Amino acid sequence: MIVDFVLLIAGAVLIIDGRTPRILAAYVVLAFTVSIFILPSALESPLSLTLFTMSVLLKLVVAPIGILMFLRANPPANDLLPSIPLPARFMLVIAFALISRAVGHFPSLASIPMQDLVAYVVLCSAGMLVVHRNLLAHVMGLLALGAGITFAGATLAPTLPEFVELGATFDALVATVLGLTLVRSIVAHSPILDVESLRRLRG
Amino acid sequence: MIGIAIAAPLVAALLTLAFRAARQRQFARVTSAALAALLTLAMAGRVDALSLLFALLVSTLAFLATTFSAGSFTLDWGTTGEVWSRKPIYFLLLATFWSAMLLVVLADNFALLWLGITTTTLATTFLVGFSGEAAALEAAWKYLVLCSVGIALALLGIVTLAHVSIAAGLPPAQALAWTSIVAHAPATAPPLARLATALMLIGFATKAGLVPMHAWLPDAHSKAPPPISALLSGVLVSCALYAIMRTITVAAALGAGPTIQTMLLVLGALSTVIAGMMMLNQSDLKRLLAYSTLEHAGIVALALGFGGPIGRLAALVHVVGHAFAKSSAFFAAGLVQRERQTVALGALHHLWSTGAGGRILLGAVTALCGMPPFGLFVSELLLVAAGIASGQWIPLAFGLIGITLAFLALVRTTIEVEGGKPAAGAARPPSSSRLSVAAAGLALAGAAVTIVVPWTELGTMLNATAAMIARLP
Repeated sequence: MIVDFVLLIAGAVLIIDGRTPRILAAYVVLAFTVSIFILPSALESPLSLTLFTMSVLLKLVVAPIGILMFLRANPPANDLLPSIPLPARFMLVIAFALISRAVGHFPSLASIPMQDLVAYVVLCSAGMLVVHRNLLAHVMGLLALGAGITFAGATLAPTLPEFVELGATFDALVATVLGLTLVRSIVAHSPILDVESLRRLRG
Repeated sequence: MIGIAIAAPLVAALLTLAFRAARQRQFARVTSAALAALLTLAMAGRVDALSLLFALLVSTLAFLATTFSAGSFTLDWGTTGEVWSRKPIYFLLLATFWSAMLLVVLADNFALLWLGITTTTLATTFLVGFSGEAAALEAAWKYLVLCSVGIALALLGIVTLAHVSIAAGLPPAQALAWTSIVAHAPATAPPLARLATALMLIGFATKAGLVPMHAWLPDAHSKAPPPISALLSGVLVSCALYAIMRTITVAAALGAGPTIQTMLLVLGALSTVIAGMMMLNQSDLKRLLAYSTLEHAGIVALALGFGGPIGRLAALVHVVGHAFAKSSAFFAAGLVQRERQTVALGALHHLWSTGAGGRILLGAVTALCGMPPFGLFVSELLLVAAGIASGQWIPLAFGLIGITLAFLALVRTTIEVEGGKPAAGAARPPSSSRLSVAAAGLALAGAAVTIVVPWTELGTMLNATAAMIARLP
């Protein structure tokens, strides 16, 4: 019950808040909680445990430190530039919570444990990608989405821990290494990291 | 042996770093890439025909892209200090991209296939933004974010598929192998099987750049260096379509075939029409070619959606023909860029009479228009036959409208950029590297050869391979 509450709040902060440090904290809480759920299946084999350790290091240590260091050097990136007003973001979180509860009522999904929590985490991370215009929000959104998918993997295929952990590690690697490297390069051209600046490429 | 074939391009690229002199290193790059490509032939008998066909396609075109790059780097990218220092990184990333695509098509299960597709993102994001220009970085960003979301959806679909397979009694080690899933598919598939294959289709379709998940494709394919654009458009899109073909096989076995075919018809119809409309309004040669990729991916999706033996054969012939034609078109665009220092359509005229790039471009565009003597002429005829046979008139009409719009856009552009003669006394543009011209010419020859394939022994083999998309032997 406490875990449900923690995930509910962390997921809501990802969408509702507009300041990077607070959203980063919410992401860390979400990824840490999800990792606790995944740990038992990761203990199944040495390979899955190794991959789990790598993905946790990437998601909970390397990525947050990288983002914090980036924020120190580029203070304008503290604002995640939400693209919709606060009441609309509140409504979105409520809608996600209701959809997640409804997921539990589908007969075909009834046998999957914690299906409502998995759906909520995936929806909030995907929502974060859409709601904020700052590119750092996209990096954190991809990381959170990776955590959500790993959560889904651990509940849907607990007997395939190596594959689930491999997926988690690669997701985290792509988001952390590529995301932060590109953000570092893009900030030279667009200091506020507004996604609006990407639109000029549209055909 | 399969592992060796997958690792060979990367190992070859690493070995070439041992050569210090530029000429020796260029020779080593081309020779070792040729050896790595030839190693793919050793896969015959070790993997099924569909994997072998795509592996040969990947290796042939990746070898040509390496050859083109080896020629172009000497002339274009080797003169400024900063880019010169990144040259080995470029070739290492190119080799990683090649190895990752081989992993996609040689894997026998969805776990490794997914890993291969993710690795292509790791390698190509840096290649798309290789020039360091603002527009290239932004294109790389869009590519990263949209493809990562697509890949995440595919992963969600794959773990759901694993849940379905294990529930059907498959051991975990075989839960994602398509041969095992097809052999032990439950008689009545649960709704979760439909959800799993639909998520996989959406994920792989994002990587193939099908509408509405296409926003990254025109930017990434047009901002990457020309040989990388050739591989992204000609081969990576083909690898994503290969993943869709494997998904269709599993979906058909699980009773989700009709759902997936309907989704493919919608995605294919939208892609061809929207790409055709966008092509009419382009001012950049590479961007025009990128939208053409979207149109051709849509045609393959339509052919797979129509289904039946003709539809599946059309899809395979089209993938092979398009891979060669589009690669030669992007190579030619690279040659034109070298000769004219621009790919803005408004600044390109009388290309036919001033350089090799213009001549190869004319051939490549003729192929992309679906005209003889190129393979896409046959596959587009097969597409129409498959559409009529399936009775899917509305998607067929959308497809034909899209093909017509794309044809008009390409013909109009060709007339504008190829025609006329340069003014007397105008400076001759710099000549291109012979290696690069040879790579572009060979790719164009490949596009022409595919027209005879359906009437040869290879055509019989291709028919048998196409049948595997619906049901594994």
